[in-house]
Amino acid sequence: MASPILQVKDLKTQFRTHDGIVKAVDGVSFDLYPGESLGIVGESGSGKSMTAYSLLRLVPDPGKVVGGQVLFRNQDLLQISDEEIREIRGRDIAMIFQDPQSSLNPVLRTGFQIAEAMLAHKKANKQQAYNRAVELLKRVRIPAAESRIKDFPHQLSGGMRQRAMIAMGLANAPSMLIADEPTTALDVTVQAQILELLADLNQELGTAIIMITHNMGVVAGLCTRVLVMYAGEIVEQGPVDQIFENPQHPYTWSLLRSIPRVDALRHERLRSIEGIAPDLLRPPAGCRFHPRCPFRIEKCLVDQPELKEVKPNQLASCWVTMDRARKEMGADQLLDIRPGAASGLQPGKIVD
Amino acid sequence: MAEAVREIPQPMGASAPALVRVENVVKHFPAGIGQTVKAVDGVSFEIRQGETLGLVGESGCGKSTLGRLVMQLIPVTSGKIFLGDVELTKLRGERLRQQRRQMQIIFQDPYASLDPRMTIGDIIAEPLANFGVTRGRKAQRRVQELLRVVGLNPNFNNRYPHEFSGGQRQRIGIARALALNPKLIVCDEAISALDVSIQAQIVNLLEDLQREFNLTYLFIAHDLSVVRHISDRVMVMYLGKLVEIADSTDVYSSPKHPYTKALLSAIPVPDPKVQRGRRLVDLSGEIPSPINPPSGCRFHTRCPIARVPTPCAEDDPPLEEKVRTHFAACHFSQDV
Repeated sequence: MASPILQVKDLKTQFRTHDGIVKAVDGVSFDLYPGESLGIVGESGSGKSMTAYSLLRLVPDPGKVVGGQVLFRNQDLLQISDEEIREIRGRDIAMIFQDPQSSLNPVLRTGFQIAEAMLAHKKANKQQAYNRAVELLKRVRIPAAESRIKDFPHQLSGGMRQRAMIAMGLANAPSMLIADEPTTALDVTVQAQILELLADLNQELGTAIIMITHNMGVVAGLCTRVLVMYAGEIVEQGPVDQIFENPQHPYTWSLLRSIPRVDALRHERLRSIEGIAPDLLRPPAGCRFHPRCPFRIEKCLVDQPELKEVKPNQLASCWVTMDRARKEMGADQLLDIRPGAASGLQPGKIVD
Repeated sequence: MAEAVREIPQPMGASAPALVRVENVVKHFPAGIGQTVKAVDGVSFEIRQGETLGLVGESGCGKSTLGRLVMQLIPVTSGKIFLGDVELTKLRGERLRQQRRQMQIIFQDPYASLDPRMTIGDIIAEPLANFGVTRGRKAQRRVQELLRVVGLNPNFNNRYPHEFSGGQRQRIGIARALALNPKLIVCDEAISALDVSIQAQIVNLLEDLQREFNLTYLFIAHDLSVVRHISDRVMVMYLGKLVEIADSTDVYSSPKHPYTKALLSAIPVPDPKVQRGRRLVDLSGEIPSPINPPSGCRFHTRCPIARVPTPCAEDDPPLEEKVRTHFAACHFSQDV
């Protein structure tokens, strides 16, 4: 296997607030291999976006990366100078955001903004940069690219703006693209087109993609490997097929069962996850998911489980794991998904 | 103008009487000199008592406008809307207000739809006071009962909205909607802003409440998988017109309009093996402007099976019953 182009080790990002320290990313480690497409899924506040922002040192105030390493081609991005990280952003690692409206400058023409990405890294002269901008707009399937480069962002639709953002990201042929919820603001038909485009780019150009999303369907269609985040930590990671078919962390398992599927054969009651995500100012002791977990045991209330290999290539941080929950607690037949329901450890027993 | 109503689409086993009847409703908004946005352009349907009718479509298709028209929060340009035997579109002022107690709406944004300076007890009691039902201590007792019904701690009535999470706020919005024992609740993207795990909680709550209080829902959302899950029937809207209405299982298993089919194909299924095998129906181009919608069938500019110019660019296909209880507006629905 090729060596990873990105190695993240024990990354920690915190926000110092009035009420205390919020541990938004709390010890996240993963590798990204060349040409791979890796999904990072989680709900709001899980730390998935902050993980991505931390990689490129784009964490907004009052947040700070307080620990860990981000090794890109054996260079720690957290240690290099501001000048050096600026060189890497947009040239080696590009990022696209959820809202293309606010990521594009409204008073500059689209073509100029794409050309600027190349000029900033001295990759081309002005004429070459413009020619390549047209080429890139064609590559992301914007019709009439020659005239579209003269358009201002407001003259483009939401989907076209996101395509223009992707074109800009690709301008310097980066080896890695970080996409932070790039389709969340778009209609489903447009979302499908953008995802198809990203998949093509991943295959044809070999650009490695980190896809940050809350949508399990997006991961299923685009990614080969997935990290599942909860309350600032990775709770499960592994190959997409394996994780969707046989998730080992109760959070992943519950999340997959709580989504209505458009291809479902009959109406079944959704298996919701009871409770709400924890306050990261005061995360629960032990496993952070234990207040919502139907399979928790005494140990979960006090000891924090580590992320470890539970099946070949599949890591989960759980004292119980779903294999055991199935065998010993009848997880698949479980109708009552209240916390502690399967293990008999009821909420009343929790000392908070 | 929209043509005369041919047939108002009926739900399966149309035994329950209609609670809401919408006839040929049109809503045009002025958009600069001599221009109008044709947000809703000749729409007819019925909502039966106790059913959940889903309404889906992409942004700008007119689905929220239609929801507001049903509630009569905005007046129609033309057409009629009935609640039971009462023609809402004829009523004004106090008489309309009195009808409104039977209809409530739950909004998308649980942050913007609750007054941050009122306690949730006062928020939920406000409709009771507005309609002179109860006030004071008696009202607060009703509030506590409602909080229990939506799964919140009844002793939270003195807290403020900012003390609650998004999902809890949406429960507060639901409690307020239930306060007057309405017959109809319009859910306008009521769960779209919530996290996946919380969405499931709210969907389950809405289903439980429906059973308990015999509620009728108009469930508006862009997420077809949620709509399909919760609805008995689903309506699909495109550029101000209904293009398909059918039982929710039929809409998925055998769509009769190419737009519905494309919409369905675009929704990612959270199963990698299934998802890789699915084929995206590619819709060419973008959604046209509702100021100048295309001639004939409004979908013909993007339709993969359109025959232009005849008939698709010339004749606007009516919404017809293609098979029993399954309505679609397409000249070539047999080819979908």
